[in-house]
Amino acid sequence: MKMIWAVTRPESAQRVIKALDTIGIGGMTRLHVTGHGRELRITLGTVHYSEIPKEMLMIVVPDGDVAKTVTTIRAEAKNSSKSQPDEGSIGDGKIFVTYAEDTFAIRTAGKTGGT
Amino acid sequence: MKQIIAIIRDEQIEATKQGLESIGLRGITFLYVTGRGQQKGKVSAQELGTSLNRHLRMQLESARTGNTTRDGKASEVPAPFHKDTEFAFGFLPKRMLIIIAPDEEVNRIVQAIVNANQTGKHGDGRIFVCPMISAIRVRTGEQGDKALF
Repeated sequence: MKMIWAVTRPESAQRVIKALDTIGIGGMTRLHVTGHGRELRITLGTVHYSEIPKEMLMIVVPDGDVAKTVTTIRAEAKNSSKSQPDEGSIGDGKIFVTYAEDTFAIRTAGKTGGT
Repeated sequence: MKQIIAIIRDEQIEATKQGLESIGLRGITFLYVTGRGQQKGKVSAQELGTSLNRHLRMQLESARTGNTTRDGKASEVPAPFHKDTEFAFGFLPKRMLIIIAPDEEVNRIVQAIVNANQTGKHGDGRIFVCPMISAIRVRTGEQGDKALF
């Protein structure tokens, strides 16, 4: 099993969630976080905002579903310009994939195969 | 060393704290999160009401009494499934616990979380166990299992 942490723009999060619904991934956890990547900060006049709000989604899926999950998240989370439709913009977010060795459902206290 | 990520009901947090304290666990990180399972957050209004923390409950009540959307039309979806709220996609308030523990403690901790949280109804939550490579105590610079207790 793999655990996927996806950081997205808050305004893309609902699109991502809808798209994950359509490929049959229903269970997920959502965190409001702040941070920045390569954009470093937003500057309005003389004021710098370096803690930019982001939305983090945590999804645990079986190994076989990782590729389609990551593709779906990326397709919805990127904000492309017309000249470069394959590339998104700075600040669109990142997707991290890590191991989840065991998953327990508290309701049944039994091991499960995914979220 | 393992990282245990547990997602539990908001109102079970005190029981869980007590349960974990009684097995001698000290270090826990708590996060406010929202989440849903395979039911996509479909619960009865009564159940939802008890699981909300005060802030979110206030938010919901204002939606229910107003019963209109932002543009002034009567809402199609009655609260608590008000379409303007975060619950539109069925995300319910939950707590996330992050615990880093040595391998041999994992079973005891998982058992304690299950005992404190199991009601048998949908929405009890999940526990994920993930590998963790190392830990460093900032105060002293100790590394590995020593840094945990």
